[in-house]
Amino acid sequence: MNRDEVLKALTKPSPHGPDVDLSRFDIGSQTPETVDERGVERITERLGFGSQVFRRVDYLQVNESIVAKAMSEKLVKYGAVVLPTYEALRKLDWATSYSWRLIEPTVDKYTAASYLYGREYGFFIYVPPGTKVREPIYTCLFITKKNYAQLLHNIVVVDEGAELNLITGCGVPDQPTKSLHVGISEFYVGRGAKLTYTMIHAWAPDMVVRPRTAVDVHEGGEYVSYYVIYSPVESLQTYPKVYLRDRAKTTLNSVVVGTGSSIYDVGSAIILKGRESSGEILSRNLGRENSAIYARSRIESVVGPSRGHIECLGLVDGPNAVIESLPEISSSTPEAVLTHEAAIGKISEDQISYLMSKGFSEEEARAAIIKGFLSIEEPKLPHQIMEIIKRTIEYIVSRATG
Amino acid sequence: MLLELRNVGVAIGARTVLSNINMKVDSRELHVLIGPNGSGKTSLLNAIMGIKPYEVVNGQVIFMDVDVTREPPHLKARRGIAIAHQLPPVLKGIVAGKFADELVRRYGVMKIYVDTLLETLDVRYLLDRYLFDKMSGGERKRLEMFLTLLVRPKVALLDEPDSGVDIDSVEKMSNAIKVALNSGGSVVLVTHSLHMIKLLRDHIKFVHVLYGGTIIHSGLYDEVVPTIEKHGLSGALSRLVGGTH
Repeated sequence: MNRDEVLKALTKPSPHGPDVDLSRFDIGSQTPETVDERGVERITERLGFGSQVFRRVDYLQVNESIVAKAMSEKLVKYGAVVLPTYEALRKLDWATSYSWRLIEPTVDKYTAASYLYGREYGFFIYVPPGTKVREPIYTCLFITKKNYAQLLHNIVVVDEGAELNLITGCGVPDQPTKSLHVGISEFYVGRGAKLTYTMIHAWAPDMVVRPRTAVDVHEGGEYVSYYVIYSPVESLQTYPKVYLRDRAKTTLNSVVVGTGSSIYDVGSAIILKGRESSGEILSRNLGRENSAIYARSRIESVVGPSRGHIECLGLVDGPNAVIESLPEISSSTPEAVLTHEAAIGKISEDQISYLMSKGFSEEEARAAIIKGFLSIEEPKLPHQIMEIIKRTIEYIVSRATG
Repeated sequence: MLLELRNVGVAIGARTVLSNINMKVDSRELHVLIGPNGSGKTSLLNAIMGIKPYEVVNGQVIFMDVDVTREPPHLKARRGIAIAHQLPPVLKGIVAGKFADELVRRYGVMKIYVDTLLETLDVRYLLDRYLFDKMSGGERKRLEMFLTLLVRPKVALLDEPDSGVDIDSVEKMSNAIKVALNSGGSVVLVTHSLHMIKLLRDHIKFVHVLYGGTIIHSGLYDEVVPTIEKHGLSGALSRLVGGTH
């Protein structure tokens, strides 16, 4: 990679979301620190992980301190690898071939900053061919410092016929941090392999969040993701791209609960580049208070036969909240079947009346409707992860309805 | 007396839609409200339940000797009044089975009763679907009746369960009404078709004919239904005016 080009990209804004001046943040800081344990506990609670899950987290990074608790023990029996990315790139020759392959450092200022100053913090996970890791792998990326730029590079490789359930929680304690989180995630799903990826975000009103994700799903592989963001942020912009080869499939679920004066520009794109590939984008957006949600989704078919479907639903539950749904489908082959449905509405009086007539108070009725709206049933996720998502949704609903 | 309407008048906003409605429903009784479209049948049931925008502007709704006229619907439901809506809304995300479980938990219903209703109404296969989502007319009506009778209400207000559904579904719902009556409940059934009324003939206490916003006749099955059969509903109206129990 030409370093000069990457340096030039440091001023390149993202095509979506508000542009942010990176000089606001302490980029490349290497200040020694002690981990704020109480802060970490608070973040864990906010993520809905609970202490039981927290005790068995496989990779925990707080700012730049890596606290890798059960990192290897659980995974050694599978022959899997979980390492900080910088260590994997140093120790494993082959690991470098997966680094910055799906995401170019010059994409925008956030990728450029991560490439130049991130020093390859983040996690690297490798699952060998045919290995099915039954228990979910938990990774946590927390920020407790102020004005800090957390620049991460995560690489996950699930080799041929292997399976992995990965859950990542990212967050800050419920207090001002004015920090930046950039997570570069490159995921490789081998032939016939399966990766389920759940990401829960619990940020604060002054946080700038710019995840950058790309996934390459090989022949017959499957990638299922479930993303939840329910906290306020200054702004969050993400647009994961999933590339599907022959017979590969994907389902991308997202739940965005807008609060405060936050801006959420949350998209997903699926590129159907293999025969008989198929993908689905399901998004639920709840706009409250003064929040603005831009729900982008795109499915592009370049080879047929292939199928794609977008379902984007929005619920405006605040007088000043805004939701924009921007579904796109694009095909350059007559053999593709692409569909989309998008709807934005408010909580209907009919629905509230109906539930009240069954004995629910108005508050209970609103809570049940919001909970139902946000609950995307994803049978492909393991029950432990669905339990965490359920707890998180319960937490959201309890806050949404007082 | 279980439920009594005393000179009830109902308005939707500034518009009066019903006046001088009187009715007494006792335990284990089935009352049928029949009348042409727009006569106020749905308005009456919704007003009894306290569902907006229907409002009781005159008279009283007395339930088990308590004036519940101004109570919101959820409190009436908890007292034992239930309503089966004519067009229940789609509630995407709320799974029918989980919703039914929640009702069973809240109202403390025995499993054997739940199973009986599930079988009678043939709705077990609908329990893993979202409430009323992607269901046929008959499925929607049967599921709504299941969720209404499930809580073993003291009185069930059933708003046209038989409209727009096949004969098979009408029979299943009639059987479910019999189950509710046999379990000690009362039913106020709104309909404008005779098929369901005939199926329930032996259980009917009174048939009330609603026309122009008031009850013009209340009578026994044998007084009312043959007249309607012979002259049609509109032809029967002039013949029935005035008779009230």
